[in-house]
Amino acid sequence: MKRLRNKYTKDERVRFISHLDLLRVFQRALRRADIKVAFSQGFNPHPKISFGPALVVGATTEADYMDVDLEEEISAEEFKKRMNKVLPPGIKIVESYEVDVNDPLSKRIKAAEYILKVNFKKNCKDVENKLEEFIKRDAIELEKETKSGKKMIDLKFYLLDLKALEIKEGYLKLYIKLKLEEGVPNPLNLLKALNEYLGDVFEMDSYKLHRKNIILE
Amino acid sequence: MEDLKDKIDALFIKVNKPTRYTGGELNSYIKNPEDVKMRFAFAFPDIYEVGMSHLGLRILYHLLNKREDVYCERVFAPWVDMEKLIREKNIPLFSLETKTPLHKFDFVGFTLQYELSYTNVINMLDLGGIPILSREREGLPFVIAGGPCAYNPSPLSEVIDFFVMGEGEEVINEVMDAYVDWKEKKGEREEFLEIVSQIKGVYVPKYYIEEYNKDGTIKDIRPIKKGVPEKVKKRIVKDFENVYHPEEQIVPFMDIVHDRIMLEVFRGCTRGCRFCQAGMIYRPLREKSKEKILELTDKLVKSTGYEEISLASLSTFDYSQIEDLIKELIEKYKDKGVGISIPSTRVDALSINLLKEIQKVRKTGLTLAPEAGTQRLRDVINKGITEEDILEATKEAFSAGWNNIKLYFMIGLPTETIEDVEGIADLAYKIVDNYKKVRGNVKNLKLTISTSTFVPKPFTPFQWARQDSIKEIIEKQDLLKKKLRSKVLKYNWHNPYMSFLEAVISRGDRKVGRAIIKAWEKGCKFDGWEEYLNYEKWEEAFKEAGVNPYFYANRERSLEEVFPWDVIDVGVNKRFLIREYKKSQERRITPDCRLYCTGCGVKDFDEGVVCFEAPKKQIYKR
Ligand code: SF4
Repeated sequence: MKRLRNKYTKDERVRFISHLDLLRVFQRALRRADIKVAFSQGFNPHPKISFGPALVVGATTEADYMDVDLEEEISAEEFKKRMNKVLPPGIKIVESYEVDVNDPLSKRIKAAEYILKVNFKKNCKDVENKLEEFIKRDAIELEKETKSGKKMIDLKFYLLDLKALEIKEGYLKLYIKLKLEEGVPNPLNLLKALNEYLGDVFEMDSYKLHRKNIILE
Repeated sequence: MEDLKDKIDALFIKVNKPTRYTGGELNSYIKNPEDVKMRFAFAFPDIYEVGMSHLGLRILYHLLNKREDVYCERVFAPWVDMEKLIREKNIPLFSLETKTPLHKFDFVGFTLQYELSYTNVINMLDLGGIPILSREREGLPFVIAGGPCAYNPSPLSEVIDFFVMGEGEEVINEVMDAYVDWKEKKGEREEFLEIVSQIKGVYVPKYYIEEYNKDGTIKDIRPIKKGVPEKVKKRIVKDFENVYHPEEQIVPFMDIVHDRIMLEVFRGCTRGCRFCQAGMIYRPLREKSKEKILELTDKLVKSTGYEEISLASLSTFDYSQIEDLIKELIEKYKDKGVGISIPSTRVDALSINLLKEIQKVRKTGLTLAPEAGTQRLRDVINKGITEEDILEATKEAFSAGWNNIKLYFMIGLPTETIEDVEGIADLAYKIVDNYKKVRGNVKNLKLTISTSTFVPKPFTPFQWARQDSIKEIIEKQDLLKKKLRSKVLKYNWHNPYMSFLEAVISRGDRKVGRAIIKAWEKGCKFDGWEEYLNYEKWEEAFKEAGVNPYFYANRERSLEEVFPWDVIDVGVNKRFLIREYKKSQERRITPDCRLYCTGCGVKDFDEGVVCFEAPKKQIYKR
């Protein structure tokens, strides 16, 4: 058995497919490419494929990761080539390399960088300064839904960087860097907090989110 | 145009399950609309998950797109959240592939699978910027329809420009060819309708008139235009072995109702259940060879990567080489983790044994359809199974390890009495006893009993019968609710108001069509969805249209009555249907016609129509 770590992209055309959909996409692509995947043992065997933390639906990415354990000897290069031939338009593996089978992806992923664009629904002056004030606060409190009900969290603990890339009449483009692991707040949670801080200025469902990079350790 | 695309794009984030509308799935077609001569919108009047699960759509989508001069795109009924948005923002209903408004196509083709989707047909036209009435469509697309419900074209005859009767694989190409010709000659809209009215299988409603007697029954349906056929004959594919079957299939991103490869192994059915419309209208029986099926599965697995193959037909275990086929498929695909599924299980031990094999690769549920609770009633409907068959099959299943079994019955069948209804419960408890015998106790057993309600359908031996009144249906359901109260049993029943509406529409005439439009005007849509059916509005619609719905649903017809669908010829003739109806009343059964021809008439319908003959030993003996 060998493990391949794959970096893949997901563009505009497939930005609405969910995390669960994506798992199916890869499983079926593996079958089309006729590549033998390792299966877990047990009552309900399932293919050994693992992903990093889910990307929010509607977002694109140019640097997400997926690990797959293979039953057959096949080079990373060959794997990438064969998969890219059969993946649906909009999803592509850009890098593939072998890692140790005892090297779990989840332990490697540390942080992610995003570009977030959102439209203003009303005028907002002095955005740059206000952003700085927003970050400088002692805590950025946010209510987050969890399985065990609502919970207050401090975004500041997760936020590594935030700056404005473009401030235009109609929209704002942000650069965001957040810690990344299962269950951590995502850029939309941040956007919500920022929107409250600025006095409800964004058209909240007009955003475009792009994951620029995932930082592995 | 680009502007519209952006507007549409901005909607996706706001709706539930956006991949219902985004397109771009594997094996869907990307063409440049400028490069084709015809743009065809295949319209399914229900949501994506339902529509994409439909084999007919899958066949015709690929068949049309194989043509270089046609671009076939898909459009589904938008769910209510999306409809609200596009109505608010004045965005016309659009196709998945290129986000083109419906009114910009050359054709909008609906498939009519169930009557309760008719308000959705109208709603989709309206949303797509197309007038809902055929006569107001100058300069706009031709709206056409096919599918099983089209065999009674009357209710939608003011909405649909023309219907295509029967199997579409050949006739759709003839219609497309005629269109190219007509377009090049820059003909008038009327001229095209005249041209297609000469294509076999095409029914242009406005060339026919429906006249009524004083009592509301039909006096006559006849052509009012010279040269159109007196009766429109359905199309039958004669060479089923080689007829087009897609070698690829769209693989949706989201989970749909039937998310698997669908491969049609045979068409038609010879069993002759008297309530079953499909069993009559899809005759004659035609099989694909085992070799052909294996070749197609190979290509389909390669092109889709699906983990499951469904062998589709009306009764797959009747396929003449079913044992060999299943064994070979399992052998070939088990290492790839590809399983097999069979839509309905025949009630016998052989089928259970085969399912046992299938189950080793991929777990599958077990569904049996005894249809009626007593032997008397099973004989009336010509369901050729006995109580022993049912008990033996379920016993076999319990020994093989199944704990969950679903049983399907129908209530309200002609001649049904309270004993027959109670028979359903009695049978259920006999099966529970069986489980106890096999397993010692009933701890793990779950037996689901579902009843649908009998809806008399055109072109069946029961087309003359009445449907039970809503009150009678509810009484029977209540009786079963009481009788089937047990920890190991679960009882599901069908909404009686829906069944009633189905019965009104399925044998409806043009007057009923007006009531459907009225109902839509009042906001009815998704009538087959429990949460959206609004029966009060339908009642108002009937009243305002001057239609007495009970006249259509609950009235027994005389054998002489003229039906709206008498203008269509499906091959199975009325003499046969009458004979079967009479035999049902005498509780006489008619054997499976693979044993010997029982004279339904389809053989003599057209030159070259051949009924499949299985080697005698393989026929399932009753
Ligand atoms: S013509 Fe005879 S064999 Fe053919 S479907 Fe009809 S009854 Fe069956």
